[in-house]
Amino acid sequence: MNALERHRKLTTIWASEKGFKGWFSTVNHTDLGRMFLVTAFFFFIIGGLLAMLIRVQLATPHSAFAGPEIYNQIFTMHGTIMMFLFAIPTFEGLAIYLLPKILGTRDLAFPRLTAYGYWCYAFGGSMMLVAMVFGIAPNGGWFMYPPLSSAIYSPGINTDFWLIGITFVEISAIAAAVEITVSILKYRAPGMSLDKMPIFAWYALITALMILTGFPPLILGSVLLEVERAFGFPFFQADLGGDSLLWQHLFWLFGHPEVYIIFLPAAGVISTILPVMCRTTLLGYGWIVAAALALAFLSFGLWVHHMFTTGIPHMGLAFFSAASTLVAVPTGVQIFAWIGTMWKGRPELRLPMLHLLGFFFTFVIGGLTGVMVAVVPFDWQAHDTAFITAHLHYVLFGGFVFPIFAGIYYWLPHVTGRRRFFRLGELAFALVFIGFHVTFLAMHWVGLLGQRRRIPTYAPEDGWTAINLISSVGSFVLAIGIGMILIDVILHVLTASRGRRNPWGAGTLEWAMPTPPLAYNFASLPHITSRDPLVDEPDLAVQLARGEGYLGTPRNTWRETLTVDIASGKPDMHVIYPSNTRLPILMSAVTGVFFVSLLLKFYWTVPVAVIGVALLVWRWVWGLGRGADLAPLSIGHGITLPNAGMTDRSPGWWGSVFLLTANATFFGSLLFGFAFLWTVAPGWPPPVWFDPSMTELGAGLSGAIIGPIAMRLAKSVNGKGRNSVTGATMALFGAILIGVACAAMMWRTPSPVDHAYGATLFVLGSYGLFHACLAMLMTSFLIARIVRGFTSAVRRAEFSIIGLWVDYTSVIGVLVLLAAHLPGVLQ
Amino acid sequence: MLAGAGLIFALVMVLLLLAFRPRADVGDAGDVRVWVIGLGLAFPMAVLAALLAYGLVIGEKLLPLASDDVVRVGAQGRLSTWSFTYADVPNRRTQDVLHIPAARPVDVSITTADVIHSFWVPRLAGKLDAIPGRTNILRIEADLPGTYHGVSAEFSGTGYDHFTFTVIAHDAEDWDAFLNEDIE
Amino acid sequence: MKDIFRILIAPLVWFASFSAVYGLHGLLCGHEVSGVVLGLPLERAYLVAAYVCAIAVQVVLIVALYSSRLASPSPFVRFVSHATGWVGLIATIWSLVPVVFTTYCG
Ligand code: HEM
Ligand SMILES: [Cu+2]
Repeated sequence: MNALERHRKLTTIWASEKGFKGWFSTVNHTDLGRMFLVTAFFFFIIGGLLAMLIRVQLATPHSAFAGPEIYNQIFTMHGTIMMFLFAIPTFEGLAIYLLPKILGTRDLAFPRLTAYGYWCYAFGGSMMLVAMVFGIAPNGGWFMYPPLSSAIYSPGINTDFWLIGITFVEISAIAAAVEITVSILKYRAPGMSLDKMPIFAWYALITALMILTGFPPLILGSVLLEVERAFGFPFFQADLGGDSLLWQHLFWLFGHPEVYIIFLPAAGVISTILPVMCRTTLLGYGWIVAAALALAFLSFGLWVHHMFTTGIPHMGLAFFSAASTLVAVPTGVQIFAWIGTMWKGRPELRLPMLHLLGFFFTFVIGGLTGVMVAVVPFDWQAHDTAFITAHLHYVLFGGFVFPIFAGIYYWLPHVTGRRRFFRLGELAFALVFIGFHVTFLAMHWVGLLGQRRRIPTYAPEDGWTAINLISSVGSFVLAIGIGMILIDVILHVLTASRGRRNPWGAGTLEWAMPTPPLAYNFASLPHITSRDPLVDEPDLAVQLARGEGYLGTPRNTWRETLTVDIASGKPDMHVIYPSNTRLPILMSAVTGVFFVSLLLKFYWTVPVAVIGVALLVWRWVWGLGRGADLAPLSIGHGITLPNAGMTDRSPGWWGSVFLLTANATFFGSLLFGFAFLWTVAPGWPPPVWFDPSMTELGAGLSGAIIGPIAMRLAKSVNGKGRNSVTGATMALFGAILIGVACAAMMWRTPSPVDHAYGATLFVLGSYGLFHACLAMLMTSFLIARIVRGFTSAVRRAEFSIIGLWVDYTSVIGVLVLLAAHLPGVLQ
Repeated sequence: MLAGAGLIFALVMVLLLLAFRPRADVGDAGDVRVWVIGLGLAFPMAVLAALLAYGLVIGEKLLPLASDDVVRVGAQGRLSTWSFTYADVPNRRTQDVLHIPAARPVDVSITTADVIHSFWVPRLAGKLDAIPGRTNILRIEADLPGTYHGVSAEFSGTGYDHFTFTVIAHDAEDWDAFLNEDIE
Repeated sequence: MKDIFRILIAPLVWFASFSAVYGLHGLLCGHEVSGVVLGLPLERAYLVAAYVCAIAVQVVLIVALYSSRLASPSPFVRFVSHATGWVGLIATIWSLVPVVFTTYCG
C-alpha cells in the first residue's frame, strides 16, 4: 500500500460527515477543538463588548448611560463570560485540538465525550446569552454572594440563570478534564515516557487534575444555593442554622484554583513557544514540571485570602497570608527558567514573541501586586476597590490573553496550512499592549484613591474623573487592537498562500503532519526517543506518511490507536474508537431539558429528562460491547496488543477513576460544609436531631458489604469462564439496600426547611440515593450483558469498571448513613 | 512595598532585555543553578519571608487589644443605610453619621440586618465585613478631630454607589457634649 | 500509578495538615479551652504540637522518597518526587509558622 492509498483508506474511515451536518455528528478532536476555540472567542468578543460598556459607563461622573439594574448585569456577565465561557473553554479547545497531535496519537480517549462536553458548553452558554438578551441576566457580581443572591434579596430568575447555566457549562469542564487526564496518561506514542512528554502535556495534565478537584466545590455551592432558592432549604441563612460564609468558602475553594487553572495552560503555551522562538530547548524541564505541580497544590491552600475582611480570626488569616506569599515562589521559578531559556538561545522578535514579551511585562506586575494584596493589612484597604480589578486583569490578561494570542499566531499556520500574508499583527499588538496598560494602570491608581469596584456612578467631588476618562480611552485603544487581531486572523484564514510544513522549525510532533491536519492525524504512529522528535528526525512526517510507524495498515473500518503504560510509555492496549454519531448532541440536548426544567420550575419534566439521559447513557455504553472474543492484534514492528475491552484496566476504568476523583471531591466538600455549619455557623444546635434507627443503619451497612463482595465474586467467576449472573444480581441487591436506607433517611430527616441540619442531611441522603440508583442501573446493565452473552473470561473490562462504582457507592453510602445515625447512636 | 516591587520589576525587565543582546557564544549562559535555584528559588523566598514577617507584625499591631480607653460603638448595615449605637449612651442611635472621640481607640461592632456589607473609613482603618448572624469588631482611631468619609464596601445591589456614611471625630469637649446629648 | 502517587503524596499531605491545623485552630477558638502545658497556654501548645507533627510527617516522606527501597525506578520521576517532597516540607514549615507567634483567636 503506498502513501496515497493509505491516506484514502484512512480518510474514509476517519472523516466526519461532509458540510455543516458534520458539526452535529463529529467526534473528531480536530473538529471539536476548533469548534471549542471559535465558540470561546465568540464569547471573548461578547465579554469584551460588555467591558466596553462598563468603561463607557465609568468614563464620566454621574453617568446616565446605564441604570444600576442594567449595569449590575453588565459587569456580572462580563466577569462570568470571561471566566467560564471564554477562559476555561479556550483551554479545553486548545488541549482538545493539540494534545493527540503533540502526543503522537490519533484522537483523545473518549471522542463522544468530547462532543458531549462541547454541546453542553454551547447550550449552557446560549442560556446565558438568552438571559442577557432579555435583560434578566445575573446581577449579583461574578461571585454571587448570598444572602444578596438568595430568594429574599434576588427574587427574580436572574440568579437562577447563573446557578443553573454555569453548572451546565461546568459539565463540559469536568468531561474535558477526565478526557484530557486519561488521554495524557494513556494515549501517547510508544516510547514517550513521562520524561519525554512535551511540556504542554504536563501543564494540561496538571490543569485537568485541578479542574477535577477545583470545580466540584463550586458545583456543590451552586446546587445548594439553587436548592435554597427553589425549595427554601436554609443552607446560607444564619437565623436557620445556615451560614453565608459557607458559600464564600465553597466559592473560593474553587475560585482561587480557577486562577491557576487559567494561568497554567497559558504557561504551557509559553513553555512550548518560547524555546522555539529562541532556537533552543527549555531550560530546567524537570524543575518546571515540579514548579507547576507545586503551584497547583499551593493554590488550593489560599482561598481564604479572598475573605480577609470577613472577620476570620487573626491566626487563620496569617496561615493564608503565608501560603499566599509562598505561591509566588514556583511562579518565580517558571519566570526565571523562561528568561534563562532566552539567555541560552537567540531570541527572535517574531510576532508570537511580541505577545510573550507582553506577557512578561504584564504578568510580572500582576504577580507583584498579587503579593502585595497577600499582605493582610494592605488587603484591608485594597479589597473590593478598583485596585483589585486592576490586579486581576494584570494577572488574567497578562497571564492568559497575551500567551493565548502568542499561541494563536504560533498555531494558526497549523490549523489553516497557510502563511500570514497581511502584516496587521504587529500594529495590533502595539495597540493592545498600550491600551491595556493605560486602562489598568489608571485603575490601580483610582483604586488606591478609594474607588470601589462595581459602582455604576461616582461624583465629580470624588476627584476620579480624569483618571477614569484616561482608563476608558485606553480601553478603546485596547478594543481596536483586539479588533485588528480578529481581522488579521480572518484575513489569514481567507488568503490562499500555502505555507510550508513546520514554519517555525519546532521539535514537537504536531508539526510532523501535513497542515491543515488530516482527520486521522498520523498515517502511522511514531516511536519516540526524545523530547523533540522532529529535531532528531526532520523528515519524520514523511516516514509516518509512508506507514513506517505503528498501526500503519488500516484494518476493517476500525478507527484504531493504542495506549501506553503511564510511566514507561510501552504500548499496552489496542483501542477501537467509536465513529460519527449524533448521540452526544442528543444527550446534551436532553441534559439541557433537565436544566431548563429546573430553571423554569417545570418540575414534572425533570424526571422525564433524567430517565431520558439514563436511557441514552445505556445506549451509549451498550454499543461498546462485542459478541465474540478478539484475539490480540498486531500493531506492526512485531508487537501484538490485547484490545482494551479484553483487559481489566480499560480506558473506561481510567475514566471512571478520574470521574470518581471529581465526585469524591464533591462529596468531600459536602461533608466539609456539614462540619463547617455544625461547628462554626451561628444558630446551632438544631431544634430536633435525627432519630437513629438500627434497622435502617444495619440494612444500609449490609448493602455496602454485600455489593463489593458480590462484584469481586462475579469477576472471579467470570474469569473462570462461568456464568457470573448470581454475583451481579447480589451486587444489585446490595445497591438496593443502600438506596432504601438512604431513602428512609431522607424521609425521616427533621424538616429540611426549618434548619440547615435537616437540609444538609436531606442532601446527603439524596447523594447516597442517587449513587445507589446509579449502582442499580450499572449492575442491571451488567446482568443484561451477561445474559446476552456479551461477556466472557476474555471480555471482562466491564466487571472492573462497575466494581469501581459499586465500591464507591458503598463507601459513600456508609459515610452518609453514619453522618445521620451515628450522633444519635452515640448519645 | 511599592518601591521594592518596582525594583524587582526593573530587575526582571533588565534580564529580559539582556537576553536580546548580540552574543558570540551562548554556551553556558543558561545555567539551571543560576536561573532556577538562585533567581527562581532563593531570591523570591528571601524577599517573601521578609514581606510576610512585616505583614504579620503590622497585623499584630492592628489587633483590637484591650485598653481602658476604648470607646465602644455599634454599626449596623441595612440596605442603604448604616445606623450607629453607642455603648456610653444606650438609647442613642444615629443614622448614617457615626460620632467618635478623636485620639482615642474606638471599637466598632459591625453587624447587618440583611445582606453582607462592609464598613470602611479609608482614612481611619481597613475594612471589615458585616456578616449575617455574626458580630465583627474593628478598631479605628482618628488622630485629629474632623469629618471622615466612610463607604459600604461590599456590593449590595442597586443603590450600592450611594451607600456611604460619615464619621465625625470630636475633640474631648465636643465628645462630652455628644454624650450629654447636646449634639444631634 | 505508583509514580503519580510518589509525585503527589507530599503536597497532598501538606494540604491535609494545613487544613487540619486551620480546623484545629477554629475548634480551639470555638470551644473555650484553658490550661497551661510546659509554660504555654493550652491552645498554643496544641497548635505547636500539631505543627511539629506535620513537619515530622513531611520529613518522613522525604526520607522515604529518597530511600532506595521506595524511590521510583525512573530517574525523572525520582527527581520530580524529590522536588515535590521538598515542596511539601517547605510549604508545611512556611504556611503554618504563624502558630508559633501570632495571636490566636483574636
Ligand atoms: C478585554 C479587555 C477587558 C476590559 C477592558 C475589562 C474591563 C473590566 C472592568 C472595567 C471591570 C470592572 C467593573 C467594576 O467592578 O467596576 C471588569 C471586571 C472583571 N473582569 Fe474584565 N476586562 C477585560 C478583560 C477581561 C478578561 C480577559 C477577564 C478574564 C479572563 C476579565 C475578568 C473580569 C472579572 C472576573 C471581573 C469582575 C466582575 C465582577 O466584579 O463581578 N476581564 N473588567
Ligand atoms: Cu486568590
